[in-house]
Amino acid sequence: MLPRIILVSALLAAGPASAQWFHVTTPGIPRTPDGKPNLTAPTPRGPDGKPLLNGIWQMNGKYLQNIAADMKPEDVPYQPWAEQLFQARQNGALGKTDPAARCIPGMPKLDALPYPFKIIETPGMVMMLFEGFTTFRQIFTDGRELPKDPNPAWFGYSVGKWEGDDWVVNTIGIKESTWLDNAGRPHSDALHLIERFQRRDFGHMDILLTIDDPKAYTKPWTVKEDLRLIPDTELLEYVCVENEKDYGHLVGK
Amino acid sequence: MIMRIIAAVALLTGAASAQWLTTKTPNVPRTADGKPNLTAPAPRLADGKPDLSGIWNPNPKYVRDIAVDLKPGEVPMQPWAEAVFKDRLAGLHSYEEPDANCLPQGVPKLDTAPAPWKLIQVPGQVVILYEAFTQFRQIFLDGRKLPVDPNPIWLGYSVGHWDGDTLVVESNGFNGKAWLDQVGHPTTEKLRVTEKYRRTDFGHMQIEITIDDPGAYTKPWTVKEGPTLLVDSELLEFVCSENEQDVKHMGTKK
Repeated sequence: MLPRIILVSALLAAGPASAQWFHVTTPGIPRTPDGKPNLTAPTPRGPDGKPLLNGIWQMNGKYLQNIAADMKPEDVPYQPWAEQLFQARQNGALGKTDPAARCIPGMPKLDALPYPFKIIETPGMVMMLFEGFTTFRQIFTDGRELPKDPNPAWFGYSVGKWEGDDWVVNTIGIKESTWLDNAGRPHSDALHLIERFQRRDFGHMDILLTIDDPKAYTKPWTVKEDLRLIPDTELLEYVCVENEKDYGHLVGK
Repeated sequence: MIMRIIAAVALLTGAASAQWLTTKTPNVPRTADGKPNLTAPAPRLADGKPDLSGIWNPNPKYVRDIAVDLKPGEVPMQPWAEAVFKDRLAGLHSYEEPDANCLPQGVPKLDTAPAPWKLIQVPGQVVILYEAFTQFRQIFLDGRKLPVDPNPIWLGYSVGHWDGDTLVVESNGFNGKAWLDQVGHPTTEKLRVTEKYRRTDFGHMQIEITIDDPGAYTKPWTVKEGPTLLVDSELLEFVCSENEQDVKHMGTKK
């Protein structure tokens, strides 16, 4: 279901809007002599020597459907109940129980939406502005600790810090009803997400995403998701609940 | 309906108050007893421009009626707009209000949504993060012009420039579906909004809002709002479509 909504609305949105200021030239992008962005130029760095993450990024869309797309199925270390629930959700059998089907975004699927998101670094906080759902994450970099017993939230609570050239984001407090992917991999209230943002060069970034959830998986497991920089454009508006017609056709309760 | 929202916000604030929502906001001038001094001078950025950043809490009276400070008759409605407005004012259409259906409030209603918003200035743009519906808005200060024939959307397209110490934000490209307030002042696709943000001291902002919508009003009209700074707090998560139970109880015409 979600892929259908996403593909259709992305196609519709991309057409009529392309004549607008979505063709603004992004400043600060290295370019080849013909003016095209040089996306294999070196990773830009700030005065502190750390990679800059600013920009509009787009995730490889396959991870939304299947977060373990690059793994052998048997390598996902499910607890028995989690594997049973995953199997029960296969082939859309419980599509209505995915909060995203009711236009409720959540982590970690939010990162994996096939729409662009914009990273803006500010002192003490990094923003991620998502075209998908026109929503945002705040990742605090002011040294605060994760809350001890947080009110469960759809996006959880996130803090970030640098480890060498990796920007490491730790997130807890995610509501257990979110799905890890459209395929339906579950998690529990014990989920701890670790995202390692690694900007490989000017136009490419990986997120090494570790799922640490001892209630749902027997050990932490890690996937590598790849993103590309989208230059010379801007985020569009995306309002999920507007004229939403899919939910009524989904199955499950 | 809005009272319920306020009640829900109050509940959330209670439950969450033990969390990092009490993190101390840095760089806030404080009195000797540690309390924020909200009447200290407005801060400035390195380039001398006022620093508007912070979490701002709107005065909720304007979400009910954006023209609450105007005298009756001072909103120059065209006849059709007045007829729609009177119908909506009677509550007959409250179930149609976009906000009640978890659709974006639009601009400028979003300025007045009874939940705080965080303004952030970065080179070339201002970002406003709204607690209401966990939405954001981008205002570009990189010199680009408003689009000439934009795809109509809920939050429009916004560019800003400085006029002395005032940030002037101009927006167009609205879809004409938004209500300016809960009593139902209408909009059309011809709406253009000008918001003038001026931080009068550390803890107070004035926003002068001009509604220029020749599709619904006979001439532009202006209102003023004044959010206050919210310190030592943080935005909460607000997901409108989660367990929404209000809209089915609203209005009478279906």
